[in-house]
Amino acid sequence: MHSIIRPNAWVAVKLPSGITRVLQVAPNTTISLGKHGAFPANLILGRPYHLTFELEDKRPGETFSRLRAVPPSELYAEVFADEEAPSCSTPAPGTTEAVITAADGDEFSLVDADSGKVVVRSNNEAIDDSARQTLTQEEIEELKRDGNNAGKDVIAKLLLSHTALDQKTSFSLAKYKLLKTKKYIRRFQVLPIDVPNFSTWQLEERDASRILDLRAEMMGLVGCWGNVHYGGEDVYLDDPKATSEQGHEACPVVQEQLLKGRWLVVDDTCGLLVAALAERMGVLSPEETDSDDEADEKSEDKATDGAETAKDSAPTDENIKKEVVDGDEESKETTHQGSDTEMADAQDEDQKPRADAKPKHHRPRASDFAIPFSQTNTITVVHGASQPNLSFLNYWGFDVTSPNHPPHPLLNHLLTLTWLQLLKPELDTSYSTPPLTASSETLSSWKPSRRGNFHRKRRRYARIRHIVDTARAGNFSGLVCASTMDPISIMKHALPLLAGGAPVSIYSPTIEPLTALVDCFSVNRRTAWTSGAVPEIADKSNEELEHWAGTEQFPLNPTLLLGTSIQTSRARRWQVLPGRTHPLMTERGGSDGFIFTGWKAKPAEGKVAAKGKFKRRKLEDDSAPQSEAAETPA
Amino acid sequence: MPEVSPFLEPGPLTKVNSLAILQLSRDNLQPVYLKSPDDEHDGYAEGAVVNTRYGSFPHSTMIGVPWGSQIRASKVDTGSRGRKRKRQLDEDAGRDVASPNENENDNDNGHEVEARDAHGPAVSNAIKKAVADTSGFIHILPPIPEIWTMSLPHRTQVVYTPDYSYILHRLRARPGAVIIEAGAGSGSFTHAAARAVYNGYSTATSPRKGKVISFEYHEQRYHKMSVELSEHGLEEIVHLTHRDVYKDGFLLDGKSPEADAIFLDLPAPWDALHHLSRRRPAHGGDEAPWVSVLNPKRSAYVCTFSPCIEQVTKTVSAMRRLGWVDIEMVEIAHRKLHTARDRVGLNLAIDRGVNNSARDVDEAIARLAEIEDRFREHSRPKGGAGGSAAAGGDVDDMDEDEDDKAAVAAAEAPTNGDASSPASSSIPSWMDGRLVARGEAEIKTHTSYLVFAVLPREWTAEDEAAAAEKYPCSAAEKKIIGSMDKAARKKERRELLAAQQGNRKARRKARDEKMGEGAL
Repeated sequence: MHSIIRPNAWVAVKLPSGITRVLQVAPNTTISLGKHGAFPANLILGRPYHLTFELEDKRPGETFSRLRAVPPSELYAEVFADEEAPSCSTPAPGTTEAVITAADGDEFSLVDADSGKVVVRSNNEAIDDSARQTLTQEEIEELKRDGNNAGKDVIAKLLLSHTALDQKTSFSLAKYKLLKTKKYIRRFQVLPIDVPNFSTWQLEERDASRILDLRAEMMGLVGCWGNVHYGGEDVYLDDPKATSEQGHEACPVVQEQLLKGRWLVVDDTCGLLVAALAERMGVLSPEETDSDDEADEKSEDKATDGAETAKDSAPTDENIKKEVVDGDEESKETTHQGSDTEMADAQDEDQKPRADAKPKHHRPRASDFAIPFSQTNTITVVHGASQPNLSFLNYWGFDVTSPNHPPHPLLNHLLTLTWLQLLKPELDTSYSTPPLTASSETLSSWKPSRRGNFHRKRRRYARIRHIVDTARAGNFSGLVCASTMDPISIMKHALPLLAGGAPVSIYSPTIEPLTALVDCFSVNRRTAWTSGAVPEIADKSNEELEHWAGTEQFPLNPTLLLGTSIQTSRARRWQVLPGRTHPLMTERGGSDGFIFTGWKAKPAEGKVAAKGKFKRRKLEDDSAPQSEAAETPA
Repeated sequence: MPEVSPFLEPGPLTKVNSLAILQLSRDNLQPVYLKSPDDEHDGYAEGAVVNTRYGSFPHSTMIGVPWGSQIRASKVDTGSRGRKRKRQLDEDAGRDVASPNENENDNDNGHEVEARDAHGPAVSNAIKKAVADTSGFIHILPPIPEIWTMSLPHRTQVVYTPDYSYILHRLRARPGAVIIEAGAGSGSFTHAAARAVYNGYSTATSPRKGKVISFEYHEQRYHKMSVELSEHGLEEIVHLTHRDVYKDGFLLDGKSPEADAIFLDLPAPWDALHHLSRRRPAHGGDEAPWVSVLNPKRSAYVCTFSPCIEQVTKTVSAMRRLGWVDIEMVEIAHRKLHTARDRVGLNLAIDRGVNNSARDVDEAIARLAEIEDRFREHSRPKGGAGGSAAAGGDVDDMDEDEDDKAAVAAAEAPTNGDASSPASSSIPSWMDGRLVARGEAEIKTHTSYLVFAVLPREWTAEDEAAAAEKYPCSAAEKKIIGSMDKAARKKERRELLAAQQGNRKARRKARDEKMGEGAL
């Protein structure tokens, strides 16, 4: 994450009303905050995140509002005043001593109704206001149009012209003021789009169902229980230096001993889960250098690099078989040809004078069968549709559908494949069709576009082959799911792919799918399984049992997972103000969200008999002994 | 490069001199440092041995196996010397003393007997002492912070997984971050934080790597923690210091660790907060030049962990005065859920978890009707014999009781002889009943209040001037982003369409030209 707001970065603009706007800060544009005003985007570029800005009144001769960073002492002025007051709960001057009295009762209800309604919608407020508020709506509009000191004047006037202000208790006064401040103050704060901020916004203001109501606390839990972390330094396979005449046999073989720190992911949250895991693994956003300027240059460098490599790699007659510079960029030929993609436009835009301090290192061009993916620290996403839906990764500058992508860490660390490719690769055309081959003479006789396609297909073949083969090689460090699919069916195929002791962490917005899953590993099932009550497994080896296809009674091999449990967690937010500290009155409802956890077990070969001496008489309650007995299947 | 900690990279197999966690039963986890047989040990023939209530496990059987492996208690023949000694030890501890070989046989026997009759094993076993719930195996798990936390002996208040997972998420503890932890306590948070920030070990070329800077005031705990960290191979990632942070702050030898995030698990966080300022706080009258602990280039994230609301009030107040923004207080409510199969019905065998009452209204009615029938049948001859109303009533009552029992017995009769009843044998016990989830018997309703806040980076007038120069503000902005009024939206749409048409025209023109070239 960046420390300052960079051009074309996605940011969240938080308004005093609590509304967040997520936008991409393009340079030389105007950012409009609706009724709170508008300002040039350049005024926040290069500035740090989390500062609170205030829209100033337009200066004479200028057509735009300038911004002012509000110091914290000013932000908290009210609170400090409250704290310094002798007692926070003393009523405002003019009211009776007792806060809640019969005389005050109607005042309370009025203010409560007032505030309660206004929070939700503002049209009701006018009715209540007209009783006490002497300013008319037109007058307020008038005030807003004039220079008004970032809305503070409006608020002050509103307070002054409220006829019953002196009757309010300090509580209601504070509430009223807060309410008017929220409505009229022209302040905002710019937050970086990182996973917590993005998910909060998506959950609370956009469509929570798209991310399966995945709250921050559940995201943290899923990641921790999945033991998702940085999986080691990148390791790349050697380029096989395959010529265009070589086919499948030249593809690099999977080297299982190199595969480390890989997580298997099933994501139906449009990529939010992948983003959260990538963030935990340090591959979500490009690494940052310490110095701003350096970082600036670096990012510009990168952009230019991308652009230039794309240009460099345009096929020339000498260089036909080695166009790929970054390995992950496909179809540069087409870029060169038509410049019909947005990418090309973007590249032109990004062509800035680059700092020559850093020598640009040209990587030798990789062959078609060079594998761009790291062997470590990767996320393997299995998806049900033919393309993965990871659209939210766009907010972090990664577009999974873009064939010609500028450098991004996810390019080398995110592997996607379909369930068909994982389970029945022979049925998948792109996996099972052998790669095209052609002699260099034939190649050079082709048109550039045909040549481009030839190389693109070969590269695609090598990549898919690699993804599928490594995925099928198994030994994943963990399984993390947030899916609408039945978890039992996922587990049936994913469990054999996990390394021993690898954690499983499955999120579900509702508990029912997870209870069914836990039930597959119930004590009774284990007992029956290990005691030989299941005739089907009698003469099967552990290897066969690991790939247990499932029966109606035993959908999964119940001995393959340890410590299965379900948990849920909820963060309750509080308001902390002097003398007015309490939990928030309302919070998001909807799906609670649950997490299933467990660890992959490697059952000992042969029959492992346990002396399951269940002393049933001694058991007092249901739950505890069951959990105790869970590890002692007889 | 030092060997990577087993917490971060456990490898495929268990290793000598490395930490492993034995899962004895579901929630009974025991950390063990695996030693090779020729290492120092208690005099067992097999070298170091773990004695549990589920049997004895020589370390040699647990080394070089895949993680998650099921380990048999009786895999290796213990020498008689070891056995004797072990027996003695075990007897002292009041544990199962059967030698592994016997144990295995017993397991088989016991098990088969058990399947026939629940009371069998106690009689048929060769065990001399009545030991509850013995079993012949355990599982060996890799050290993962969550498993470690579960296996922790409770030294101080532990920051459990639901709390630390949320805290680390909100603190943006990512690979490469530097996080300060004050109050290392039991080390649960330390391990999780180390995993979160780990991105390799520092080298000459890239010295700044993710680190946990940990402070502990309690001397004993400090020593225990430092031993633990070196045993876990984490000393490169966790920098532990014994210090009173209220007084001495967070600098390391006067140098700034450039922290990105801070976690304060202290009784009085407000007394430590002023050490975390970007510049000298107003009341800090010290003459030495001020060195900020925080990363000067980033916003700093802080979280404090306090059980009492008064602490929160003071902390928040201090934060406001020190310029922290986005202050938010939350508490985490976490629940574990157990699943079970609820079996309700009159015709079920009496078993654990079975509720022998009517499953539904129909069943209740059927049973009542049956009782009524029997009662009528039974009382008819008696009614014929005569007698006073009161006496008859008494007799009736008694009869009803008896009938009741008889009815229940009759109803249960077929299920007791399990195999003979087609209805009950068709559904095995693991498929029977309604699947339910319920909370655990005791829930933690309050751990601590978490206060989060952010301190933006320092922004001076010079910085502002530089930024203004870099991104000059002309009045030439055309495009509007964000929320727009209708007119602006329409205007933009028009322009967009015009531009697209322009594009298309240009492209067509380009294509025509090219075709022209081709023709030439």
